[in-house]
Amino acid sequence: MTVHLYLSLIPEALIASMLTPEEFGSYYAVGTKKKTAGQAIFLEVDPDFDSQYFRIKEGVSRCVPHEDGTPKASIYISVYRVLEHVPIDVLGKFYLVTQDGRTLGLDKSEQIPELDGGSHLYKEIAPVTPLVASRLNPLEFYDLIVKNPTSLVTLPAIIFTELRLGELADNPEMGEVGDLPYSNLDHLREVLKDLKTKAVATKMVDRGSPASFAYRTVKNGFFVGNQSAMAYYPMPSLQELRENNYRWWRSANM
Amino acid sequence: MNQVWLYISIFASLISIGVALYLFFWVKRQDPGTEKAQEVASWIREGARTYLKRLYIALTIVALILAFIIGVVFSFDLTEVALGNVEITPSNGIQMALAFIGGSICSALAGYMGMSIAVEANVRTATAAKDSLNKAFKLSFYAGSVMGLAMVGLAVIGMSIIFLLTESADAVLGFSFGASALALLAKAGGGIYTKTADIAADLVGKVEVGIPEDDPRNPAVVADNVGDNVGDVAGMGADIFDSYVASTVAVMLLGAASSALTTQYVVLPLILCTLGIIASLLGIQFVRVGKDGKPGPALNFGTVITTVFFSVMVVALVLLTDINIGILWSTLTGLITGVIIGFTSDYFTSEDRKPVYETARVSDSGAAINIITGYSYGLVSIVPSVIGIAVATLLSYFLAQSSGLPGIYGIGISAVGMLSISGMIVSADAYGPIVDNARGIAEMAGMEHSVIETTDTLDAAGNTAKAITKGFSISAAALTVLALFAAYAEVVQATGAEINMSLRDPIVIAGVFLGAMTPPLFSALTMLSVTHNAFDMIEEIRRQFREKPGILAGTEKPDYDTCVGLAAQGALTSLVLPAFLAVGLPLLIGFILGPNALGGFLGGAIFTGVIFALLMANAGGLWDNAKKFIETGQFGGVGSDAHKAGVVGDTVGDPFKDTAGPSLNTLITVMSLVSSLFAPIIAAFHLF
Repeated sequence: MTVHLYLSLIPEALIASMLTPEEFGSYYAVGTKKKTAGQAIFLEVDPDFDSQYFRIKEGVSRCVPHEDGTPKASIYISVYRVLEHVPIDVLGKFYLVTQDGRTLGLDKSEQIPELDGGSHLYKEIAPVTPLVASRLNPLEFYDLIVKNPTSLVTLPAIIFTELRLGELADNPEMGEVGDLPYSNLDHLREVLKDLKTKAVATKMVDRGSPASFAYRTVKNGFFVGNQSAMAYYPMPSLQELRENNYRWWRSANM
Repeated sequence: MNQVWLYISIFASLISIGVALYLFFWVKRQDPGTEKAQEVASWIREGARTYLKRLYIALTIVALILAFIIGVVFSFDLTEVALGNVEITPSNGIQMALAFIGGSICSALAGYMGMSIAVEANVRTATAAKDSLNKAFKLSFYAGSVMGLAMVGLAVIGMSIIFLLTESADAVLGFSFGASALALLAKAGGGIYTKTADIAADLVGKVEVGIPEDDPRNPAVVADNVGDNVGDVAGMGADIFDSYVASTVAVMLLGAASSALTTQYVVLPLILCTLGIIASLLGIQFVRVGKDGKPGPALNFGTVITTVFFSVMVVALVLLTDINIGILWSTLTGLITGVIIGFTSDYFTSEDRKPVYETARVSDSGAAINIITGYSYGLVSIVPSVIGIAVATLLSYFLAQSSGLPGIYGIGISAVGMLSISGMIVSADAYGPIVDNARGIAEMAGMEHSVIETTDTLDAAGNTAKAITKGFSISAAALTVLALFAAYAEVVQATGAEINMSLRDPIVIAGVFLGAMTPPLFSALTMLSVTHNAFDMIEEIRRQFREKPGILAGTEKPDYDTCVGLAAQGALTSLVLPAFLAVGLPLLIGFILGPNALGGFLGGAIFTGVIFALLMANAGGLWDNAKKFIETGQFGGVGSDAHKAGVVGDTVGDPFKDTAGPSLNTLITVMSLVSSLFAPIIAAFHLF
């Protein structure tokens, strides 16, 4: 049986597994005995990847089938500070798993989404998970946090996504919230208003924002970057998801 | 001439049953779909049959016991008993017992036919949805028509034959009691079953585990889909059958009791039912989805056109025969009021109207605000229906009286007028659970997305039809029991006993209070049964997830049968106390406190029964649609704080609208019928 390497983001961990991505997503979300974790996000890592920071070979060698012949579901090779030590070029597909274990795979794209003005809402997924509002577009935001930090706050690598703001982007006071399921909306409106009126580039919306979030709020896709490179994983349109990935879409919209 | 009318009624009923049978076999000839879809449908079919088998076995025992008691009691000449003489005429008792059994059988048969076709039509509708919405709509509506036409046909043929053979309205009362006793148990049992499964499936599936509705991994998913059939098809069918028969019988009794009326006016309600059957047969032909592909307006058009056909026929009847013109006014009053009440109920439960919008809008402040708002609008929703009932009561009373008919007879006729188009109303109502099931099967069988979207569109129209039917049936039941209430007083007076229901009499006041208490108590018992049974089923679902890890991973099949069995067993054992309330309590009040208190008891029960039934049906529908409205992407959509509050409101509303609320009109009908049946003996034997 093939041994796969996965970079889990909830929580941040490097895992060896004999399960295919779809099986791993299901296992990771619902467990083997009962529901154990809920929503999961992970990336496929080149199985030949090796690094001085991780005992990958040892982990892989322990990843053997159970006595009854069933595949080994997971061997945790490392937890904590994993993302910063995994080069972008060894990352494969990006997987979004719903709370009941349906998995959607996203491919890397060379094309960066069209960058628009106005306010943005960023959900950081790893290594930290705050919800941040900003006047910066995704590339500027990535630059600010990882490459050229002008403040004291810096991260060696980041995975984040931009969430939809709908009418709130241009009209934070009166804009309709539509299908955006954000908590504490009054606070979000205030933050977005401040971005328009005060000389700040970013403002914290929720520093204790939970790791999981509604996938339908993703505006374009996922950004994965460190000091040396950045990759972009576009999300299919809502229409494409409904038509081509109905089961996943329905499960994601619970 | 009366006999001719009875033969015409029987003939029309046979046509109605014949068309129902034709549609039954037409639906069965349609494509049942893929093997997977058929397998899923077979789980639902078997579950529904298992429940009905258990229910009907229990009901047979209850019916035989009650028939025996009725047979013994009515073997005595009750009028003579009231005067202190004992005369035994066994044939009277046998006649009444047989009529009672006949009513039970016809009611059960209508429910069984409706459910049998529903569990065949669901998979065929899902399969037809692959081709087009029109095809799926036609199939599901025709399947619903099997229930509608069978129900009115069996009711009218049963009543006509009994009256033809016995020439006694009292014997038809026995038929009605049989139908109502079965309806109460079928409706309450079905309501408990369906919400037990629904709530348990949702709470564990959606909330705890996070799997979507109708997901085959949920062990309660089959029980949930079975519940749609036993609650909304068999239960609702039996319920309207009961109101339909009771309203007809009440007017027949009033006609027989009034010295001012000829036998023609005893048969008249059956004539109106016959015209209603013909109007429904015609109206069904006009239910078509137009080019815009909207099934909701198609169903509503069917109701309106049937109303128009029926009105024209009543006008012709009055003009061409010597029937008093007051009949026309009373019938039209009831008919128009029924349609208006039906559509105003829709106002309070429609997504595009203020009550649902407001309830959804305030939901981001939490479940408490959602519940307070929904409950308040539910209370407001009582107003138009109660005003409608009051207007129909007064108009039909005074219009009948000004035409030379007894006013109370006019009220009864307005109830018959309201229910005369039941063939069409039930057809539209039974369509709902069929398309709901079709959607479930499409999900469980993994059909393509377009099928699910089509069944979604069909399902939305079914919910509207359901809301209209509920308003319709509750209002009709209110008028029916007013007529039965009057019939009760007539029966007591016929024994020579004085009846005085003055509110200055403490015995009457005590009766009113006890009666007013009964519908809330009945509601509480049925809803507590739901929570109790749901708790047991939740434990079972959790056990399966815990002990069979492959269920969630999709590698192991859940044990659907255990959940189906739990729901069935729980529903049936929960019926004992509610059944006692319906049959035992009126007798207890009557024998202890006397006929005046029993009159007060019925009055109190009728008033709170109608209020609670309207409140529960409308508030429950409103909460359901407020949640659905949020799910369309309003106020934060799925997963938002508003949605979480909406889910709580919907769960609270579920037993309101599908268990307690719809059973209340049957409860007050059964209590009125029991009182009327036993009135002579109560008049003779009571403590106070």
